[in-house]
Amino acid sequence: MGKLLFEWDYSAYPGAKKYPHLFKPIDIGNLTIPNRIKYAATEDNLNGADGFVTDAGVAYLRERAKGVVGGICTMQGVYMDEGRQGQGYVGQAAAWDDKFIPGLKRLADAIHEEKAVAACQLMHCGRVGAIETEYCQGPSDVPQRLRIFRPVQEMTKADIKQCLKEHIEATERLLKAGFDIVEISGIVGYLLSNFLSSYTNRRTDEYGGDIRGRMRFVVECIQEVKKVCGDVPVGIRLCSDELLDDVGGNTPEESMITYEMSEEAGVDYMSVTLGWQESIYPVISRDIPQGNWLHLAERAKQHLKVPVMMAYRLFVPELPNKAIEEGKLDIWEMCRPMIADPLMPKKVLEGTQDEIRHCVACNVCLARLFRDAPMTCYINPVCAHEWDPKYQIKPAEMEKNIMIVGAGPAGLECAWVAAERGHEVHVYDKREELGGTIIEASKAPYGDDELYGQIRFSKAKAEKAGVEFHLGTEVTPELIEEEMPDSVVLATGPNYIKGTAPGFDRANVVSVLDVIKGTAEVGDNVVVWGNRKPGIGVALFLAKQGKKVTIVGKEKKLGKDINPSFLWRYVGYLRQNKVTAYSDCDIEEITDDGVTVLTYAGYRIPVKADTVVSSEREANPILKDVVQQNSIELFVIGDALTPRNLSSAVHDGYRIGIRI
Amino acid sequence: MALDPEKQISSLWKALQGSQEANRRTFYQMRRAAIEFAGPDANPLDIGVKAWEIIGKDMGKSNLPRMNLLKGEEGLMMSIARAYQGLWTTNGAVVKIEKGKSPNEIFIKWERCPWPTSAKEFGASMKEDLLGCDKYLQTFLDEVNAFLGTNLKIETQKAIPKGDGVCLRRLYKPEDK
Repeated sequence: MGKLLFEWDYSAYPGAKKYPHLFKPIDIGNLTIPNRIKYAATEDNLNGADGFVTDAGVAYLRERAKGVVGGICTMQGVYMDEGRQGQGYVGQAAAWDDKFIPGLKRLADAIHEEKAVAACQLMHCGRVGAIETEYCQGPSDVPQRLRIFRPVQEMTKADIKQCLKEHIEATERLLKAGFDIVEISGIVGYLLSNFLSSYTNRRTDEYGGDIRGRMRFVVECIQEVKKVCGDVPVGIRLCSDELLDDVGGNTPEESMITYEMSEEAGVDYMSVTLGWQESIYPVISRDIPQGNWLHLAERAKQHLKVPVMMAYRLFVPELPNKAIEEGKLDIWEMCRPMIADPLMPKKVLEGTQDEIRHCVACNVCLARLFRDAPMTCYINPVCAHEWDPKYQIKPAEMEKNIMIVGAGPAGLECAWVAAERGHEVHVYDKREELGGTIIEASKAPYGDDELYGQIRFSKAKAEKAGVEFHLGTEVTPELIEEEMPDSVVLATGPNYIKGTAPGFDRANVVSVLDVIKGTAEVGDNVVVWGNRKPGIGVALFLAKQGKKVTIVGKEKKLGKDINPSFLWRYVGYLRQNKVTAYSDCDIEEITDDGVTVLTYAGYRIPVKADTVVSSEREANPILKDVVQQNSIELFVIGDALTPRNLSSAVHDGYRIGIRI
Repeated sequence: MALDPEKQISSLWKALQGSQEANRRTFYQMRRAAIEFAGPDANPLDIGVKAWEIIGKDMGKSNLPRMNLLKGEEGLMMSIARAYQGLWTTNGAVVKIEKGKSPNEIFIKWERCPWPTSAKEFGASMKEDLLGCDKYLQTFLDEVNAFLGTNLKIETQKAIPKGDGVCLRRLYKPEDK
């Protein structure tokens, strides 16, 4: 038994009984961690452009520290060089000078105040760094595959020595700031991974060559950081599989050698990751099944004695609990699940698992970072606003009777938030089921079923907060006048429309909703009208059934409403399923043989089709007039306001819920 | 409104040719601007070739996401040959790819190319046209080689600007010695 920083007794909690392997202690070096939960280092872009820690960053991390209920909470990686070549994100925290210690201490203190173990990461971003400079650093000047990254300058031996020194000095600062664990980042294309990989390390000196040579810099880093740390545990994050076989990256066997050499060099744990930002394979998006990568942790366990931890599509506690029981894993790491719900493990412990807001693995968080924007979450409106009182749920100044029309994601989100604030909330929906159009959207293939998790979450929250549901009840002007609520929130969803071109009145023109429900007859050759998410979803749904599908849409680009970090998945699947897409086009006419597509430039393309699926939407003004005529406070949210996506619906719902 | 396929295809065809011509014209107008800006002491040939060097490097970079070693170096050579083919075809050339006798070589044949004609029209020499193409292909390949750690080479065996009727280039992997 090592040193225990904070006493935690989980025995009375239902989660500890249900998931006993998650809530048992483990030793990391000389430290005893009370449970098997770790918030993994995640860049949030919340720090100042000068590298100083901000209130927003502290509040963000404090919330995650609360969530790990005594486990490890890791701060994002710090860059360590004044020249800022190691800086990979505009809002990355710095540790290249003593002046950063007070800010770093605020983070460590915040974690400790929540009785959690404070870890901090050293992260030189290597070939994905130099966000503010002209060149980034790497072991060799291998050109970048993606234009977003800077050209690479090969490091001299003096540069390597300097970088090592910066690791040592930054470690000293982290210890002065009060962190309990120091973690070295060597993943996804950051500097240490660049040295390890045969793809990016073409050196012929002692820092290159075979895997042992390429490991030299990493081993030196570990050894030097260990020397500074003394009893303080040192961990490392390394790729178990770079997924760079297309460009001559390391083999999985070589990766295991890096694990073994890291252990020999003195690391106290191994955080298993996979893939690089330059990899062509998906790793963490929702089209990858949950638990898909556990075999990599299991393989790491076979090569190591130190504890092994892993994140990567482990979004439900059942998976890591079982993996720990079976000896495949030691610690459950989380990034995205705790971006979506910072209190996720706490809710697991307390037995309120149905109140977890599950990440939908869309990676908008990542997309934002690459666009130099602060972290945000698709489905967690409070993410990165933890510091802001305006975003918090506070008791209502005046309790109101609220009628919410529509039990989709916007209506439900608004309902539970408003009810928690003390309002009397009634949710009406003409359907017998909660979820609105997410019911249909979640039936699209490639993991879209995970979208429905948001409905389960808001339903649980709404029920707990005392929201009354009136399902199977269509709200009419008479009902509004009869009930005369204080406020009406229209969350009716959009109107699904048909075009005005000749032929849209034909019987073979059907609605996207009817197609997904299975109530519309669909032929073998299909044209989908609309190139946003509903169009893409239904196109894939039909293409998977073997139909020949063509998408025709007015937007200049396919999937304008989908963030780029996920869009590439859909585009890949459209290609795989041989779906043709004509963007910046419209349907000019629907004839007996099919559809005439009209391009923006006036060219016409004949497309064979026996069914046309309409997925275009417009705002839904229904009931607006009657509410206003009765001088009732009115809010219109979600797609009823203007058709967008699940994220906008949830964010709209929350924002109105906290101010109504 | 009844669709007239011939009319549609004819319009698109004219638009494509117009766009190809505009592309070539733009290159030579930019070249002229660079020559004027560089002053009378500058050698137009050097400027033209430098432009193709920059274009080749950039096009090589643009193609990196499509370059990989999943099918070995033979597969990579075919990807590069197809990239060259695509780049010239979209500009109005007719380019054929033939595998060589050895798996380590591929021949790329330009059976028709509008660039020498444009060069003449805008006052560039045939020497510059040939050196420019060679530089474009070479810097493209250099970028791929640097990215993947390969050592592929390209050589020009015949050239339209020299009066050979076709351009013939050999893309190959040097034999290990």
